[in-house]
Amino acid sequence: MIAPFVLLLSLLGIMLNLALAGLVVQPDWAAALLLAAILAQRGNWVWVLPGFWIHDLALHWSSLVCLPVVALIPFFLAKADEHLGPGRPQRVLLMFAGLFPLLWFGWSFSQWLLTMMVCTFAWYFAARPDVSPA
Amino acid sequence: MSQRRSPLRILAWSGLVLILLVSIQQLPVGQRLNLGMAPLLSVLQAPGRWWQDATLWLHTRSQLQSDYQHATIRLEQQSTLTQEVRSLREENRQLRALLDIQQIRGYHWHAAKVQGRSPDKMSQRLILLAQQAAPDDVIVSSDGLVGLVDHAKPGSAVVRTILDAAIAVPVTIPGTALAALVRGQGDRLMVDFVPIENAPKAGSILQTSGAGGMFPAGIPVARITKVEPIPGQVFAKVDAEPIAHWQRESWLAMASATGRAAQ
Repeated sequence: MIAPFVLLLSLLGIMLNLALAGLVVQPDWAAALLLAAILAQRGNWVWVLPGFWIHDLALHWSSLVCLPVVALIPFFLAKADEHLGPGRPQRVLLMFAGLFPLLWFGWSFSQWLLTMMVCTFAWYFAARPDVSPA
Repeated sequence: MSQRRSPLRILAWSGLVLILLVSIQQLPVGQRLNLGMAPLLSVLQAPGRWWQDATLWLHTRSQLQSDYQHATIRLEQQSTLTQEVRSLREENRQLRALLDIQQIRGYHWHAAKVQGRSPDKMSQRLILLAQQAAPDDVIVSSDGLVGLVDHAKPGSAVVRTILDAAIAVPVTIPGTALAALVRGQGDRLMVDFVPIENAPKAGSILQTSGAGGMFPAGIPVARITKVEPIPGQVFAKVDAEPIAHWQRESWLAMASATGRAAQ
């Protein structure tokens, strides 16, 4: 069950973003982790979307930053998987789409790029199949 | 039998959620979240403070002696400057009395430590550590106007900077009849109601005019970067940038109107 773990890390990420902004260039930790969770398993939208809502409110005082775009990802992912078969290209494209609003809402390009990197890294770990002992 | 949800039902639910989100948009939920997080931000910054304190213990005796000598020299220089400031203040008071110019009065000034800021590159919102903050208190840096307190609770306050589209600052250029309004555009400022005939040049500094009573008069707000006359229009399109740089400031000044402070 990764939900509490990812949500707790995301909350810590939001606080790091607020506490250290202006001191160091840092990615949007929460967006990267939550997006990775939804890309790894689209059924995670149930807890990822409220997470994005908190993220948008805490960092931008608005509910309509990343949430509206990320809310469409499970739907598009289901459609794309149905037509193209489960694969990475559509997920990479949706990762770009999910993080694009950050650029629009004033994040610098370097922060955006870092967020993509953290998201890819987290996605890799979240998507690894569980290895159970024989 | 498979349970496929009808697209109409999904659309209806999505519409409902969107309406809910838009209505929540009007409530200060984000501001309250930031205020709630303020004590935790202090905990996150603790290692930095400990490191700073620890480095003081590692100072050698010679370093401390040289620091002391520097401090003594600076103190002497500052006492000379204080004398100059006193005589200039008196001269300024006399000149203002002669020219009949109002002083910035009716405000109680105190310092506030910056505890957090929004992570966008211009830091449009700030979290301050302040004991006596109240909504609509004016925040100023050593350079110029920063913004307004949006919400406050004992010990901390959240601030909307002038880059936020929700704030409009009445401005003027001293010695002119200009009465314009500076509005935030996210990463820059826009100046409204600048007549084309009397449009100031790029590089001019706009100050608060004091109109409306929200901001004390005479605080630098913005530097004009571009003036573009629009044919057929009365007012020019004027872009500006903030004078204050709050992205790296650790301390800011807070001005509470004395009437509000008394309440």
